[in-house]
Amino acid sequence: MLAAFPITPSAGYPGLRARGRGSTAVSFEAEQVDNATERVERQRESSQALFGKKAAKIDQLWALARECADENWDGTGAAAIEIGAVLRTEGFLRALPDRVPLPELAVEPDGAVSLDWIRSPRRLVSVSVGRGSRLAFAWLDGTNRGHAVERFDGETVPGPILERIEAVVGNGDAALRAP
Amino acid sequence: MLPSGLPEIVADGEDLARFLTSSSQYTARMAKPAAFLPAPKGRETSVFRHGAEPADALWAIGERIVAGSRTIHGAAVVKAGDVRASGLGVFAEEPPPRHATIRGWPWRDDDPELQKAQQKELAILVASEATLVWRFP
Repeated sequence: MLAAFPITPSAGYPGLRARGRGSTAVSFEAEQVDNATERVERQRESSQALFGKKAAKIDQLWALARECADENWDGTGAAAIEIGAVLRTEGFLRALPDRVPLPELAVEPDGAVSLDWIRSPRRLVSVSVGRGSRLAFAWLDGTNRGHAVERFDGETVPGPILERIEAVVGNGDAALRAP
Repeated sequence: MLPSGLPEIVADGEDLARFLTSSSQYTARMAKPAAFLPAPKGRETSVFRHGAEPADALWAIGERIVAGSRTIHGAAVVKAGDVRASGLGVFAEEPPPRHATIRGWPWRDDDPELQKAQQKELAILVASEATLVWRFP
């Protein structure tokens, strides 16, 4: 039984693993502990990997914000990036379910941030995040195309946007992420 | 005839180059839709009537007119006919020489987000037809 192996908070998961493996009795319970520990460790490593990717994407967002902080950053009259759009984009990235690949980022000429999921030039979804809570998005999926507006509450990515992304790029397939 | 020697009407078969000044405007495979969205002030997208070749002439235009202190990473080149097929217009607008604009973007002061969604759909269509030309291959 798991309760038979006291776990001190400082021991953490490695401690748990040591308890499981260090047992001299090769019992069913010990094996269960070992398996459970491995599962917990795998999940922890997986979340760290995902968080790491999101953290890197958020770093990229802020680097982009610095690059486009001045008017006319594109040489053809673009507005400076809006700090409100950057903050809202950060919230959107954090709210993206882990199964969804992270998007490409770009700055739009009006200062909003564009989040693009690009499978190919004819299969892509583009979401625009500005200062406000209403998000514009559009897509091209072969011969099917369209656009819509959805409200983002800052915590949950709107279902219609998720459905569109998943329809175009699939679930969590790293090979489909734009380079 | 315009000062550049080009005809006043942009033909459907002409190439239009949109210069890319930020690495965020493209991926390895394509120019992103945002690269074609209109500037808010003029409500139009600035392009140049030039194709991928001759490359030296293309980059010279970019350096002289667009770059300033920025780096020209490349250009997205699209046929005027493909832009028009998406429902937008292409018009010569010199000076500077060879300059043209993509106009006719949806504009709705009553609903800016819907306006943006409509614009994005058109920008996606244009971007999907464009060819990426690298300045530093």
